[in-house]
Amino acid sequence: MMQRISESRQALDRLNAAAAGLRDHVNFMEVCGTHTVNAFRSGLHSLMPKNVTLLSGPGCPVCVTSQGEIDLFIELAGRPGITLCTYGDMLRVTGKAGSLERARSRGAEVRIVYSPLDAVALAAQHPQRQVTFAAVGFETTTPATAIALLEAKKLGLKNFTALVSHKRIMPALTALLESGTVNVAGFLLPGHVSVIIGYETYRPVVEEYGLPCVVAGFEDLQIAAGLARLTELVRDGTPRLENWYPQAVSAEGNRKAQEVIERVFEPIDARWRGLGVLPDSGLGLRREFSEFDARVRFELTEPDSTEPAGCRCGEVITGRCTPAECGLFGKVCTPINAIGPCMVSSEGTCQAWFRYRRQATQRRSDAATKG
Amino acid sequence: MCLAVPAQLVSTDGDEAVADLHGNRVKINTLLVGEVKIGDWVLIHAGFAIQKLDYQEAQETWAILRDVDKAAQTVESDESTKPRIDEGLTR
Repeated sequence: MMQRISESRQALDRLNAAAAGLRDHVNFMEVCGTHTVNAFRSGLHSLMPKNVTLLSGPGCPVCVTSQGEIDLFIELAGRPGITLCTYGDMLRVTGKAGSLERARSRGAEVRIVYSPLDAVALAAQHPQRQVTFAAVGFETTTPATAIALLEAKKLGLKNFTALVSHKRIMPALTALLESGTVNVAGFLLPGHVSVIIGYETYRPVVEEYGLPCVVAGFEDLQIAAGLARLTELVRDGTPRLENWYPQAVSAEGNRKAQEVIERVFEPIDARWRGLGVLPDSGLGLRREFSEFDARVRFELTEPDSTEPAGCRCGEVITGRCTPAECGLFGKVCTPINAIGPCMVSSEGTCQAWFRYRRQATQRRSDAATKG
Repeated sequence: MCLAVPAQLVSTDGDEAVADLHGNRVKINTLLVGEVKIGDWVLIHAGFAIQKLDYQEAQETWAILRDVDKAAQTVESDESTKPRIDEGLTR
């Protein structure tokens, strides 16, 4: 314990020392819901030097899912004969017709699963039901869906489908940088997405955009150390790619996981909240798996993405506004009555801000906006 | 959602294994990490082991964090191809 405290202090000392050598205010961006929550929960934001800000990017899978796709999940869940399986995170996200939770209270069969293989097992046990897995998430989660689909194919299941909304992180980073609307001096990269895709995937951010990138683990100490390194790299004018989570992350990533993704999915253009349609940023089922595509089997067409009036989640997840700048935040939109997905999701920036930072925001209305 | 948790394997059976997660026994699928044995530490996400953990590597990293100067020397003298901090990651 003592050693841990001492290490945390060392990481913060390094962050402060490096920040003292900066000429300008810098913003770094994390792109991972777990980083978002842990940075808030640990109080890291209030311990950071005044000239360094950590912004949240498009890293929470629930938050980046387009409103049209959310409406599609809820619509499908309401159809007779359908069992919709999903991760718990999606349950309370609201669409035009309420949330999956509300659909369930109206009689829809909505099941929370821990693993997509549980959804496959459910389909095998209940041949009279059509079981659909709502597949959201970044590359960490995608291989599990791929294996579930391979399993369903092996079992020859006729009553299992996936409604795939998986996203890829690199196209989103590139789109953010290309948009020119976000002032970021470096990225704190997600540990577990990187386990799958490998840190070399981020090389273009360093080489083409000249921004330092640090892969970091999820404990407060690891986040602080990652920020310290980013700050040092900016101060020294040496944009580099560094891996500070080497116990889990390698240069090439998990090849087996990449292979199963490749076997089942192919990149497709996908719509993101706040970013619009990004080329090759999503994953669609390959032709050999189209029999398991819920969009095909149930002839689904995605409704237009009409976001809740006044909701600025799209700007929040791209670092263009803080939750405090949204007119709904903390007034109409709270964890109990959440309007946008960033307040619904336990990994959402708005919910983390509400839980851990609201008072600071009220005291200092200019707190930590982008420079 | 992308949270993965470290856990130690207590039994293995083909593509499946049981891991000890803070005292709870959870059944996981090990297809994504290949061969595993009892006692291995893995990261678990959505019922799958997604990576074997290398704590030796972790300890070396934190040692490096404590002393960057020493790190530069270590990396220069180390010809291992494993992912490393600093120069090792920079082409």
